[in-house]
Amino acid sequence: MQLCTHCNAQQLDGAIFCSECGASLLGSPQRRETTASLNRAAATGDATAFEMSEPLVIDAPPVSAAPTFTLVVINSGRRITLEASDNLLIGRKDNQRGIYPDVDLGLDGGYDAGVSRRHAMISLQNGSYCIEDLASANGTFVNGRRLPPQEPVPIRPGDELKLGTLLLRFEIG
Amino acid sequence: MGPGISLRVTLSRSVLPASSEPQLVYALLELTAQGLPMTLPKLPLNLCLVLDRSSSMRGERLQQVKEAAGRIVEMLDADDYFSLVAFNDRAEVVVPAQRVRNRNDLKRQIGMIEAAGGTEMATGMALALQEIQKPVQSRSVSRILLLTDGRTYGDEGRCVEIARRAQNRGIGLTALGIGNEWNEDLLETMAAHESSRTRFITSAAEISAIFTDEVKRMSSTFAQDIALRCEVRPGALLRSVDRVRPFIARVQAVEERELLWNAPLGDWSGAEPQALLLEVVAPALGIGDHPLLRLNLTYNLPGMNLMHQQGELVLRVAVRSADSVSYEVDPTVKHWLERLVAYRLQASAWQDVADGRIEEATRRLQMAGTRLFEAGETELARTVQEEATRLLRSGNASAEGRKRIKYGTRGLIGQE
Repeated sequence: MQLCTHCNAQQLDGAIFCSECGASLLGSPQRRETTASLNRAAATGDATAFEMSEPLVIDAPPVSAAPTFTLVVINSGRRITLEASDNLLIGRKDNQRGIYPDVDLGLDGGYDAGVSRRHAMISLQNGSYCIEDLASANGTFVNGRRLPPQEPVPIRPGDELKLGTLLLRFEIG
Repeated sequence: MGPGISLRVTLSRSVLPASSEPQLVYALLELTAQGLPMTLPKLPLNLCLVLDRSSSMRGERLQQVKEAAGRIVEMLDADDYFSLVAFNDRAEVVVPAQRVRNRNDLKRQIGMIEAAGGTEMATGMALALQEIQKPVQSRSVSRILLLTDGRTYGDEGRCVEIARRAQNRGIGLTALGIGNEWNEDLLETMAAHESSRTRFITSAAEISAIFTDEVKRMSSTFAQDIALRCEVRPGALLRSVDRVRPFIARVQAVEERELLWNAPLGDWSGAEPQALLLEVVAPALGIGDHPLLRLNLTYNLPGMNLMHQQGELVLRVAVRSADSVSYEVDPTVKHWLERLVAYRLQASAWQDVADGRIEEATRRLQMAGTRLFEAGETELARTVQEEATRLLRSGNASAEGRKRIKYGTRGLIGQE
């Protein structure tokens, strides 16, 4: 037997998806960094294409045993897997202003979706994940509810995060 | 090798780790037609159209339906049978079952259908069943093609009962819903049987393509009365059988006796790939190679005069010591399983909505969205996410979103 890490249901060995909640039971989720939006941008050569000319750095899988979480960008399917730390900045990279967020949503149409350069912060506090809106112009939403600025709010796996109008899903592992 | 259907099985994992516990094995069974001549003799067709002519069909919808029906008449051969029933509050036989001889006459009769009144489907279905059984044909492909845009009230049970009676006599049902008002639960239930399917027509302009598609599929039917028998080794269990291609649908596998299941699969149009996904629970097995499952397929090839054909395949699993087995999963099996899981999740979500468990339903839909993304169904995944958000906010899903998700996850929208 194995336990589903998402809903704790008992599952038979060999099961690929949990029969209760549908979560993947495979040990390490496959990383899929090539996204539909990137391919489109490359194909049409539109405004985001210049960013494409920069080498795409794919994070090496974490070596340490620190807990990881994943943000799934809904419109592109891109999965961003991160190691939990005190403060992870989500926003848009701006070379001129020297803003280099941990998660750059510029590649996922973040500008059009109204993602601020410094939009929100995800942190691991006392074993639970929190998101804090950094007084962004277009707001941060958790499951459709707008967050008050500068107040960390706990989030759970499966929660839908919206930055401006860009949809993300928060997953653990 | 003579003509027939060949079976191919891919397991989720080809080698299992030795374990003292039961393990779940997924088997993707793909059926392939083999040794068939390029042009198969076409079986005579027997098609009955059952058309909703309630007032909501007025205008473009009915116009498109009539044109599409006219096109069907053009496509049928002189030895095919055609009949047409129209229904609103009442039902009438517009074209009694007859050979397609005088096409202009048939088209003129179709042209006279006018939209008015309400929707009462059962009487229409009853007349259709009566018409379609009039021709006496030894070998044929019979199909009732139902199109509706509304809800029938009070006679849903009768509709399902008539559909089952038809299906049990080898008459398939294709149930088409157009617009956002029709009752998808009813059409799904009516079509939840072999040789039957349901589709969601999003715009009137698609009607013609879907009608002709249906006739083409009927014309390319080459195998009938297909049935799959699955026999597992002692201690094992067949947990589920689902069709994944050409579209996702639960297959009713009946446990005939201990360790033996029987699943009727109906007709097969050669134009479409066929694949099933089986979930088998293997008992604890020692190191070595073990037979797990015996699959036996029986079928008729009426066009070639080959009746009671069969194919057999014994599925073996290799069990090795746990530390030498990697946990790798076959990507094709995983893909179809992922789509199947998304379909199951959304189905449970609608049940949750009906029972008032909105948060639970939202979680399931979100997970269905994740599965669809992983399976590469980006657009549908987005629809599911949007509907999950709407559900959480308003406590309700939109009628259209619900239909798009139900039919989309099964692969039943648009061209297949």
